[in-house]
Amino acid sequence: MDELLEILNDINPDIDYMTETNLIDGKMIDSFSIFKLIDDICETFDIDIGPKWMRNENFNSVHAMWDMIQAIQNEDE
Amino acid sequence: MAITSLVFLLFVFGVMLVYYIAPSKYQWIVLLAASIFFYLSCGTWGIFFVLITATSVYFAAQKIGAITEGQKAYFKENKDTLSRDDKKIIKSKNTKKRRLILILTLILNFGILCAFKYVDVYWDLALFSANAVFKLLGLRTINGNFSIIAPLGLSFYTFQAIGYLVDVYWDNCKPEKNYLKNLLFVSFFPQVTQGPISDYSQLSAELFSKHKFDYDHFTRGFQRMLWGFGKKMVIADFIAPYVQNVFHNYGSYTGISTLIGAFLYSLQIYTDFSGYMDIMCGVCEMFGIRLTENFERPYFSKSIAEYWRRWHITLGAWFKKYIYYTIGMSGWSRKLGQKSKEKFGKFVGQTIPPSVALVVVWLATGVWHGATGAYVAWGAVNGLFIIFSIWMEPNYTRLKNKLHIRESNFWWRLFQVVRTFTLVTFIKVLPEVGTLREGFGLIFHIFRDHTLPATAAQLFPFAESFTLKTFFVLLLSVLLFVHSLLERKNDVRDLFGKLPLIVRIVMLSLLLIVIAYVGIPASNEGGFLYAKF
Repeated sequence: MDELLEILNDINPDIDYMTETNLIDGKMIDSFSIFKLIDDICETFDIDIGPKWMRNENFNSVHAMWDMIQAIQNEDE
Repeated sequence: MAITSLVFLLFVFGVMLVYYIAPSKYQWIVLLAASIFFYLSCGTWGIFFVLITATSVYFAAQKIGAITEGQKAYFKENKDTLSRDDKKIIKSKNTKKRRLILILTLILNFGILCAFKYVDVYWDLALFSANAVFKLLGLRTINGNFSIIAPLGLSFYTFQAIGYLVDVYWDNCKPEKNYLKNLLFVSFFPQVTQGPISDYSQLSAELFSKHKFDYDHFTRGFQRMLWGFGKKMVIADFIAPYVQNVFHNYGSYTGISTLIGAFLYSLQIYTDFSGYMDIMCGVCEMFGIRLTENFERPYFSKSIAEYWRRWHITLGAWFKKYIYYTIGMSGWSRKLGQKSKEKFGKFVGQTIPPSVALVVVWLATGVWHGATGAYVAWGAVNGLFIIFSIWMEPNYTRLKNKLHIRESNFWWRLFQVVRTFTLVTFIKVLPEVGTLREGFGLIFHIFRDHTLPATAAQLFPFAESFTLKTFFVLLLSVLLFVHSLLERKNDVRDLFGKLPLIVRIVMLSLLLIVIAYVGIPASNEGGFLYAKF
C-alpha cells in the first residue's frame, strides 16, 4: 500500500489519498495522468492492467486500486 | 413520427397508460412493443438492421459468456491439479476463441454502419476511379450522385450494442439471456435515434426493474420534457433559418454578422441536441426510468478538454472506454512508451501513449460525425488542441505563477470560459458550412469586412422586424442562461417545485403557449441536427 501511495503522491501530492473516494469521478486524476499511474503501478507491482480493468470504480480510491492490484495478481496465479 | 409533433405526445401518454396498468413484471414488454412501433412509424425497413445488430450481438454475447463461464468452472473444479502454465495455455486458447467471435461481430456491425454512413464516399471513389480509366481510354466521363438513407439512429444503437458486447468480452457484465430484453436494450425508443449511448449495466437495471406510478417523477419528467420542447421548438428552430442563410451566403455578410451567425449556430446546436435530451430524459422520468445525462453546462467549460467531458458525454465516454484505453494500453503502445522513456525521459515516455490514443480517438470521432475532409479536420483540430494544452501544462503553470494569476479569480475564470466558447464555436462551424475550404472561408471571413454601415444595414432589418415571437425567443434564451447559472449548484426543478402551485401552473402554461405560438410554426417537423449522425 505504501508503494501505491508513493506513486499517487508523485502524481498529485495535494490529495489525501487515504480518505478520498472520488479520484476519477471528481476529475482529480484525468485520463492523461491515469496512464502515468497505470505505467507506474504495472512497473512497481509487476502486473498487466488490461482495458477490462479501466472502470472508474477501480481507480476512485486507493483502496479500490489496491483491491484491483490484488485481484489481478490472483488472476495471474 | 416526428418527436415535436402532437402524435408523439399522444404516443407517449398512450404507452404510459398501458405501462402503468400492465402488471409490473410485463412493463418492459410494453416498452419493447412501443419501441418497435415507434421505429416502424419512422420507416419500416430500418427495423431489419436493428434486428441484425440485436441478434448478432445477442448470439455473440451468449457464446463469449459461455466460454468465460466454462473456463471459470473448469479452473474451480481443477484448482488443485492445474499449474499456472496450464491455466495460461487454457486462457490463451479461450481468449482466441472469444476474440474471434468479437471481431466477426464487430466486422458485421461496423460493416453495416460504414456501408450506410459512407456510401456517398464509396460512390465518389468508384466514380473517380472509373472516370480515370475512361479518360485513359478516351471515353466520355460520367457524373452522378448516389445516396441512401441510413436506418434511424444506426450510429447510436450500433455503438451501444457493441459497447455491451465488449463489456461481456471483458467479463465486466453478464450476457443477457432473454433475447427480447436484449432487443429492448438496443431499440429503446427514447434513445434509439440520438442516444444517450448507455452502458448495459446502467440501462438494464432501469429498464427491467418494476416501476410504480410516482406523481413526483411524473411532474418532474413532464416539466423537463416541456423545457426540452421549448429549447428545441422555440430557440433552435427559430434561429435555424438565419444561421443557414449566413452559412450558405457568408460572402454577402459582413464579418460581424458572420460572427453572430457562428455564435447563433452554437446556441442552435446546443438547444437542438440538449432539447432532444431533455425531452427524452423527461419522457423516461415519467416512466420512472433514469437515462444517463449527455450534457453538463458545456458552454461554461474552461478548456476544450473540459468542454468535451461536458458535451455529448456518453459518446465521449464510449470512445474513452473502448478506444482510448484499448489503444493506450495495447502492447505496441506500451512498447512505444517504454522506448520513448529510455530515449527522452519519463515525462515523454508516459505522455506519448495517451497522445497517440487521443489522436486516434479524435480522428475516429471526426469520421463518426461524417466521412468528409471537414469532419476529419474538425476531429484533428479538437484533438490537437487537447494534446497541445496537456503537453504545455507545465509551461502554463509557470506562466500563471509568474503573472500571479489565481485559478479561483473570477475574471480569469470568465476569460477562460469566453475563450473556450469562442474556440469551440470556430471549430464547430468548420464542418457545418460544406467543404473544408468553405468552412475555413467562413472563419477567415469573420476577420474581414468590418464596415459598420454594412453591418448596421444587415442587422437593422432584423431589428425593425422585431416581433413578439422574437421577444419570446430572446426571453427563453435569457431563461436558458439563468437556468444554466442556477444549475451549477442547484437542481433547478427542486427550486421550481418550491414555488407556489399557482405560480408553477401559470409558468408552465405560459411556456406551453409560447411553444404553440412560436414553436409550432417555426418547427421543422421534428428534424434534429444530431439525427444526421
